[in-house]
This record gives sequence, structure tokens and C-alpha cells, in this order.
Amino acid sequence: MGTELGKYKVCVSARSTDKEIMGKAQDGGIVTQLFAFALEKGIIDGAIVAGPGARPWQPRPFIATTREELLSARGTKYNISPQVSWLKEATRSFGMDKVGIVGTPCQMQAVRKAQLYPVGMRDVPDKVALAVGIFCMENFPYKSIQMIVEDHAGTKLQATKKMEIGKGKFTVITERGASVALPLKVTHKYEQPGCHVCLDYVANLGDISTGSVGSPDGWSTVFIRTKKGEETWNKAIAAGCFETKPIEQVKPGLELVTKLANEKISKNKKTVEERATFGVNKALRNPYL
Amino acid sequence: MQSFKKTLTGEEPKPAAKPAEVKTEKKAEPRKEEKPVANKITVGHVHMSGCTGCLVSLADNYLGLVKILDDYADLVYGLTLADVRHIPEMDVALVEGSVCIQDHESVEDIKTTRKKAKVVVAVGGCASYGNITRFARGGQVNQPQHESFLPIGNLIDVDVVIPGCAPTPQLIRNVCVMAYLLLRGTEEQKALAGKYLKPLMALAKRGTTACFCDLMNDVINQGLCMGCGSCAAACPVRAITHEFGKPQGQRDLCIKCGACYGQCPRSFYNFEVMDEFEGILELIDGAMK
Amino acid sequence: MSKVVEISPTTRHEGHSKLVLKINDQGIVERGDWLSITPVRGVEKLAIGKTMDQVPKIASRVCGICPIAHTLAGIEAMEASIKCEIPQDAKHLRVILHAANRLHSIALHNILILPDFYLPGTDTKINPFAKVEPVRSVAARIIRLREIGQTIGEIAGGEAVHPSNPRVGGMYRNVTERARMKMFDLAKEGRQLATDQMEFMIAILRNFQKRDYCVVGNAKVPMPKELGYHNQGYMAVDPMYGTNSLAEYPTWQPQRWAESRPWDWYMGEMEIDFEDPSYPIGGTTKKGGKANPQMEACTGVPTYDGQPVEVGPRARLVKFKGYDEKGTVGQHIARQLEYVDCIYAILKSLDALNTSGKVLADPIPQGDGSMGWAANEAPRGTDVHLARVKDGRVQWYEMLVPTTWNFPTCSRALTGAPWQLAELVVRGYDPCVSCATHMIVVDDDNRIVAQKLIQ
Ligand SMILES: Cc1cc2nc3c(=O)[nH]c(=O)nc-3n(C[C@H](O)[C@H](O)[C@H](O)COP(=O)(O)OP(=O)(O)OC[C@H]3O[C@@H](n4cnc5c(N)ncnc54)[C@H](O)[C@@H]3O)c2cc1C
Ligand code: SF4
Ligand code: SF4
Ligand code: SF4
Ligand code: SF4
Repeated sequence: MGTELGKYKVCVSARSTDKEIMGKAQDGGIVTQLFAFALEKGIIDGAIVAGPGARPWQPRPFIATTREELLSARGTKYNISPQVSWLKEATRSFGMDKVGIVGTPCQMQAVRKAQLYPVGMRDVPDKVALAVGIFCMENFPYKSIQMIVEDHAGTKLQATKKMEIGKGKFTVITERGASVALPLKVTHKYEQPGCHVCLDYVANLGDISTGSVGSPDGWSTVFIRTKKGEETWNKAIAAGCFETKPIEQVKPGLELVTKLANEKISKNKKTVEERATFGVNKALRNPYL
Repeated sequence: MQSFKKTLTGEEPKPAAKPAEVKTEKKAEPRKEEKPVANKITVGHVHMSGCTGCLVSLADNYLGLVKILDDYADLVYGLTLADVRHIPEMDVALVEGSVCIQDHESVEDIKTTRKKAKVVVAVGGCASYGNITRFARGGQVNQPQHESFLPIGNLIDVDVVIPGCAPTPQLIRNVCVMAYLLLRGTEEQKALAGKYLKPLMALAKRGTTACFCDLMNDVINQGLCMGCGSCAAACPVRAITHEFGKPQGQRDLCIKCGACYGQCPRSFYNFEVMDEFEGILELIDGAMK
Repeated sequence: MSKVVEISPTTRHEGHSKLVLKINDQGIVERGDWLSITPVRGVEKLAIGKTMDQVPKIASRVCGICPIAHTLAGIEAMEASIKCEIPQDAKHLRVILHAANRLHSIALHNILILPDFYLPGTDTKINPFAKVEPVRSVAARIIRLREIGQTIGEIAGGEAVHPSNPRVGGMYRNVTERARMKMFDLAKEGRQLATDQMEFMIAILRNFQKRDYCVVGNAKVPMPKELGYHNQGYMAVDPMYGTNSLAEYPTWQPQRWAESRPWDWYMGEMEIDFEDPSYPIGGTTKKGGKANPQMEACTGVPTYDGQPVEVGPRARLVKFKGYDEKGTVGQHIARQLEYVDCIYAILKSLDALNTSGKVLADPIPQGDGSMGWAANEAPRGTDVHLARVKDGRVQWYEMLVPTTWNFPTCSRALTGAPWQLAELVVRGYDPCVSCATHMIVVDDDNRIVAQKLIQ
């Protein structure tokens, strides 16, 4: 296909040099480190992140304006966090002129639509200062996560320390160190249906996008995509925020990222096509027309 | 893209640093000199049963409006801003408000507008979808018979809709700039403007209703919602919250402005434009300088 | 022999209205009717049965020039009906929002009226969009003042046009310290700009006042010294914000208000027998047609103590600050004087605002059907909303909006003016016509209203 990784200027493997951030980060702590740096340097006034919500492992989008708040949001919660719902409010009662936001590829699409077609997003387009996309194969409703963790993996949500999707498995790691790996075919049926028409794996529209795939454990694959992204990234590197390796020198590298991206996009393209003949002479809607 | 910028700003565009790795850029930029854009388009603001908030929004481009009037468009009609009493021929009519079909003059005005304008833009929720006038049911003196208000699309063909209440200054601006490029630009500029306007034209064809129910009908019920939160951010009356990640609309608060539906990335999404977001945002920025 | 001339529609103000003027041989207006011809969306009637939360949001959309006033008067009428006291910090946010809206509105009005006036020392009328100096810099200053007003409003109120943050019971959200500081900075920048702009406008207006004539179309029209004078009274409830029926000493008395239909007030059917094709732009209505203000007017005629009254900046200054300059120029000058008031109101409330204070009442009563009203000083005058709420639903809703008060008063002020200057007099009222769609029946309703309110 050739476009599955989107436009980018540079791709590297990286991890944060900040021990505190790495302590609870999902992968290389890229997201938290980038925002912490941007906040400190005034590149952003704050960032919309997915912090702890009302229930265990339920994310709650909120606007972090301190390093502590950013730290509280580390780690991936595999269920829906409507990040963009705060995008306008950040520029209103929060008085922000430079907003950071992290989100899945679809949320990056939403951010860019808000900028290019600001239907209900007055005065937002010029205030997105740093949009960090995270790779995403699929997401889940909250109840799905509960069923996957509690029923299939037989562990308590409260006692879960980390969840990970990788190497074909959904892995649940408990506070006491146990780990249960479920094959993804178990979790498929619980996925959010909206994900099945999603044609972006590596957050093509982030200023910077990152995920675990392609890099060794504890490291992240990072795409620097836009001018804004590049500027911030270069400053962060100069400030010693990240340790990096050329992506060509790590295993499994871009090849795996490309493969997974292709798989996701082809599978979902097929779904989009099938929707055209879903009923009898009746199509389901195609959002991309 | 660069030649657009050049024609619009009269500046030599700086070559964008091209990503070395990706070859998504197709063709070389045409290097031929373009004629400087001299002839402005003519634009009118036609006020039907609206509140003038749409016009205030247009004016809220601040110095951008001055720029538009200096370089791109002559305002040939608009009772609030200009001393012109009767609807003249014009390239683009920005129509605000719905039409009271019991008011003869209003009906005549909207028909005249269609005859006199090359491009009719329904600006704002009232013109596009009826907005609060959908609730009208007459019975108020001094004109108790004024009871039926229709979005302009029920009476004439509409080319472009800009939903929202108030519609945003930035989207109105974008449409004005793109209309200019469409009518006066080079072939390349026309192509870009066509692509940009396409979804807003499709929205005009889609029909004259949009409210929270349309999100339910055409996004959630269609299995397309992925919980980004754009709808909640867009809503000008805070009628939408997210419960377990998915939108909950308080329909007793909704005013039928269509902002949520228009902002939702799963209502329309055009890759050709969105993938170029950085360049297009720069282009529009440049045009406003 | 008097003749009838019609200017329709009038321009450079919000909404649709027209002028029907009876003039003498010298072209001086003997009797003028200025009336709204905007279709009636019937917001007061469509409100019935809807929730008390939704109705103010709809009321906001009655007018995009003073949506803040309609939102706040609507919400506060509901709060008055359900007897809900809101937290002090919510009140501060509302005052900030309100003053910011007035700031932007005055600036917008500057743009709309400048084409009526001359650059001092010249015979050149001002085109605010012209590229020449000093006009360009003045335009930039006006635009920046609007931007400051709209931006502060957006931060405190959620949206710049129709505010989303205010709600029955207070506000959805307080603002952060960062937001408060941002508003401070903007207001401080605005203070100097507002002072400069006020002085500029006053110079323009004083210069205009000294002229012997002005040019309208091809006509050289003599300037009467008493342009826009009238003998009606003034009504204002507060120098800046407003009042409501929960207040200890309400400054508006519903018993003093009455309402009549256009039928009793405006002229009946007449033939248009004068036309002037050179009147800008496109001439007056052609001869031979009929005008019938009585039938065409889309608003009623509210009176206070039995007479139409003037509302707006001059009324506020007369009532609260001893201002006394009459006529169109006096009215314009009063408006310029309010520029700086807005800035000080914003700064004062920002000082008082506690950003960690709560902004929503708890619990919010649902109402027992009693009557409540709120009066809010919109940029162009007192905006009174009256409501009855029971179990969270609106049973009855009335809006007495500023321009509706001013229609009959301004019609009186047209007498004695050369007809070519009638639009200029109208613009002195900064009319905002879309909202002016209120009209209620005198008899039954009025009696019921008065009874309920007095008890
Ligand atoms: C639903 C989902 C699916 C994913 N799928 C893949 C995948 O297939 N392949 C892959 O390589 N990577 C995937 N990721 C990304 C990966 O899990 C990490 O989030 C990413 O590598 C960032 O790690 P980090 O150490 O840099 O970030 P950290 O420094 O740990 O910060 C993580 C950031 O992500 C945000 N976040 C957490 N949960 C959510 C959420 N539900 N929605 C939005 N933001 C959230 C937090 O606010 C935090 O700021 C997925 C992430 C999510 C949320
Ligand atoms: S798979 Fe696509 S739609 Fe689903 S959460 Fe991830 S990015 Fe969004
Ligand atoms: S869409 Fe909103 S802002 Fe525009 S006219 Fe209608 S109510 Fe007013
Ligand atoms: S839910 Fe909100 S955004 Fe959507 S149509 Fe209703 S009022 Fe508009
Ligand atoms: S904007 Fe669309 S996709 Fe996003 S949460 Fe709302 S309905 Fe779902």
C-alpha cells in the first residue's frame, strides 16, 4: 500500500530518560515525557490525558496542568476515553491557548477534523499545540474489559497492575506478579464495533505518534510527523529527555509495524466494503464518502 | 499546495522539509507562474429568520474579515453591514436563518437569492436545519399566523451547509476562502477547493434535519461511533455527555443545530483533505496574513 | 400638504425593520412610524411546556447581538420563579460575561454608525472598511475591542455568541486561575483602547453636531439642532447588570408596565405618494403602494407609567449618573461613555471572583408555578423576561426586549427631523430587531400578571 504508516519525517525507537516517568509508563513513557517537557517549556499550557476514572481501569479524560497530573495518567487503559470532549473547554474555562492532547488514531482524526472543519469548535483550530497519537488496533467498551479480565483471565480488575496487547495476546498482569495471556481471538468479540471501520493504525495525523510495536520491551516506536512535532521532539532530544536508537537497528522494527498496519487496514476496508451490501438492497452507511 | 500559498500571499513559499522515508507525495509542484489574484468574488449576507449571531460569527474573524474584504470578496449585500436594500447578483450568498412560509416577503427573498447567487451557502443551524425555529408553532401576536419555519433547503437547492449555532468564524472563513479559490483560482486551486467543499456539499444534499437524533440514527445505530468525544465538545448547549465512553444526548436540551453531527468524524471524513491537514491549515493561515 | 414616504428595509442595524414617514413640504417628518417587519418566531409561545433549562437557551437565539442578555434574563427569570439563589461566584462570572458582551456590542455599533459621520474637518463620510488612514487604525482598534470582549465572554461564558456556561442554578463551570489571569490581561489591554476609542468617537460626534448640513444621496440636508429629541421618559434598572423579583429592592415594577397592540399606536393604511430614487441605496419605496404600519408591525407597544420610554445607555446614565444630553448625538455619546464602564465592571468582578468557589446551587428547586421576572441591562436597553415554572417546566413566558421598548419612543423622536436623517435617528437606538418580536394581549394576561406580582 505504501501509505499505511502515514506521512512522517523521522521514525525512531525511544524511551524516556526520566526514571519516575518510566516507573509506571506503558512502554517507553513517550507520551508522558513529551507532555511533561512541553509543559515545562511552555510549549503547551496543559494536556488532555486519560486519567483514573470512577471505576478500576476506567479512564476519565481530564486536563492535566501539572507534572503530577500527567504522571497520574500514565499507562494504557483499554477502554474508551472520549479525549476530544475536553478540547473546546480547554480553551474556555481553562483559559488555554496551547493545548496538548493524546489519543488514539481516530481521536487524532477527530482533532484534525476539528481544525479543518470546525463545525462546533470555535477558536479551537489554532490552539492545538501538540497532538500525540498512540497506535491502536482496537478499543473496548468498559464492560468488555471487565469480562475479559475478570471472566476470561480470572483476575480482579482492582488487582490488575497492567494490561498489554502485543505478540498476538491480551496480557493481564496482576499486582502480585501473576500474568495471564489470552489469545486475541478470545477478545475479538468484545471489541468496540466502531473500530471495525477504522483505517488508521499508527495515528497518521498526530504531530508525533507512538506505540510499543516495532520496538523492544520498555521502548517505543515514535513517528515525528509534522513541523510542530519535529520542533518539540528536537528540543526534547536536546534537553536529554529521550534515549533513542535508529528504528532500522531495533527488532522487530518497522517491518512488523507495517505488517500490522496493513492487516488492520485491509481487514477494516473489507468491513467497510461489506457494509455496502449488508442488507437486501440496503447499505450501511460509509463514513468515508 | 505551494503555488496556492504563493498566489494568496504573494510570498515565495518555503519548501517544506519532505519526509525522506515516505513517498506519499505524488507530483512535482507546477512551477509555472500564476496570475496574481485580482478579481474578487462578490458575497452577500441574506438575513432570513435568524438572530444575526451567524453574522456576528463572520465578523468574529476580526482582522481576518478585513483581509477577506480587502483581497477576496466584495460584500455586495447585507442589511446589517452595508447600505444595500435589494438583493443583487452575487457569486456567493451566505444565508442566515430559516424561512417563515407564512411571510410572503421571506419566501420571495429566498427564491430571489437562489436566482441571483451562483453559490448558496446555508450558514448556521437555522438556515441548514431549522435550529430553534423547528420548535415554532405560531400563536404569538402580532403575527400569530407565523407558525411554519423551514430550513432554506426545503425551498431551494443549497450548495453548501455550515451547521452549528452559532456557526464558527473559522468554518465560515474557510468556506469563503475556498469559494474564492473555486471561482477565481487556478486549476489546482479549484481542485483543492472542490475537495474541501465536497463534504459540506454532500451534507447539503443529505437533507434538512440534524440534531442529536442524527448521531443516534446515522452514527451510533450504524455501528460507527468510536467514542472520540467530538460531539460533546461541539454541542453549544452542553446537551451531550459521555457515559461509559458513548454519547448521551439530553434531547430536552438539544436545539437542533447540527453541530454534533457535522463535527463527528464518523458523519463525514475525507482522507484526501484530512491527510493534507498541515498544508491546508498553513494555506488558510497564509491567506489570512 | 403632507406626503408619505417609506424606507424599507432600513439598513446597518440588526434585523428587518422599516420607516413610514409623513412629511411636510420641507421634507420634515410630522409623524414617523418605525416598525419591525421581522417574522415572529413566537419564542414566548413555543417555550410553553419546555424545560426551564432549555428555554433560556432558545431565548438566547432570539438575538445574536445581545444573546447574553436574553440568556441571563431568561435564566434569572426561571431562578426567580423557582426561588433559587445562586452562589456569589456564579454571579461574578455572569457580570463578567455581561460586561464583555456590552463591550463588543458598543464596538460593533461603532462600525455600523461610522458611515453616517464625517472625518473632522472634511466633507468625507467614514467608510470603516476603507484602507486609508486614520480609518484603518481606528477600525483595527474597534476590532480589537470586539475581540477582547468576545474572548472574555467566551472564557467566562463558554461561547462568544450564544453562551453555553450559564444555566439555571448558576454556571456549569467556574474558570481556572489561568483563565482569570487571561481575562485580566485582556481587560487591561482593553482599558486604554476603550478610552482612546471613546475619545475618538466623541470627537467625531461633536464635529457632526456642529455641521449645518449633511449630504444624503444627492440632497444637502440641513441639520436640525434638535435632531432626535423626544419628550418620553427613561427606564433603566441598573447602571451595568440588572435586577430580579428576588431582589430586596427591585428596581423595576411590573405593575407600572402595560402593553398595547400596534393597532392602537401606529398609523393605519396610507398611500405612499412620495419617492426619492436618489436616496441611498436604491431609493425609497416606489409611489403608489400602500403602507400599513398598524397591520405590518411585528411588535407590540410596551409602556411604563402609561408612556413609551427610552431604554439603553442614555437611559442608564440619566437614571444613575445625572446625564442629561438629549437627541441623537447625546444618545451616541452616552454609549461611548459606557465603553470604560464595561472594562471596570470586568476588572472589579475578576478581582472578586474566587476560582475555587462553587458556581452551582444545590439543590435546584423545580418550581411551583409562581411568577418570577428578571431585568437585564442589555447593551441596547432593559431586557425583561417573566416566567412561571412548575415542576421544572415553563408554564408561561414573556420577553420585553430592549428594541421593543424603543420602537415607539424612537418613532416619536423622528418628528421634526428631515426625513433623510430618519435612519440616522433610528441607528442612535442601536436597534436589534430580530428579538423585538414581543407582544402580549393587554386584557386578560395583563390583569393576571399584575395580580400575581403584587400579592
Ligand atoms: C485502546 C488502545 C489500543 C492500543 N493498541 C496498540 C497497539 O495495537 N499497538 C501498539 O503499539 N500500541 C497500542 N497502544 C498504545 C500503547 O498501549 C501505549 O499507550 C503507547 O505506546 C504509549 O505508551 P507510553 O509509555 O509512551 O505512554 P505513557 O507515558 O504510559 O502514557 C500513556 C498515555 O496514554 C493515554 N491513554 C491511556 N489510555 C487511553 C485511552 N483509552 N484513550 C486515550 N488515551 C489513553 C494516557 O492519558 C497517557 O497520557 C494502544 C493504546 C490504546 C489506548
Ligand atoms: S481501532 Fe480505530 S476506531 Fe477503534 S479506538 Fe482504535 S483508532 Fe479508534
Ligand atoms: S444558527 Fe444560531 S446564530 Fe445563526 S441565526 Fe440561528 S440561532 Fe442565530
Ligand atoms: S445535541 Fe447539541 S450539537 Fe447536537 S444538534 Fe443538539 S444542540 Fe446541536
Ligand atoms: S463524535 Fe461521533 S464518533 Fe465521536 S463520540 Fe460522538 S458520535 Fe461517537
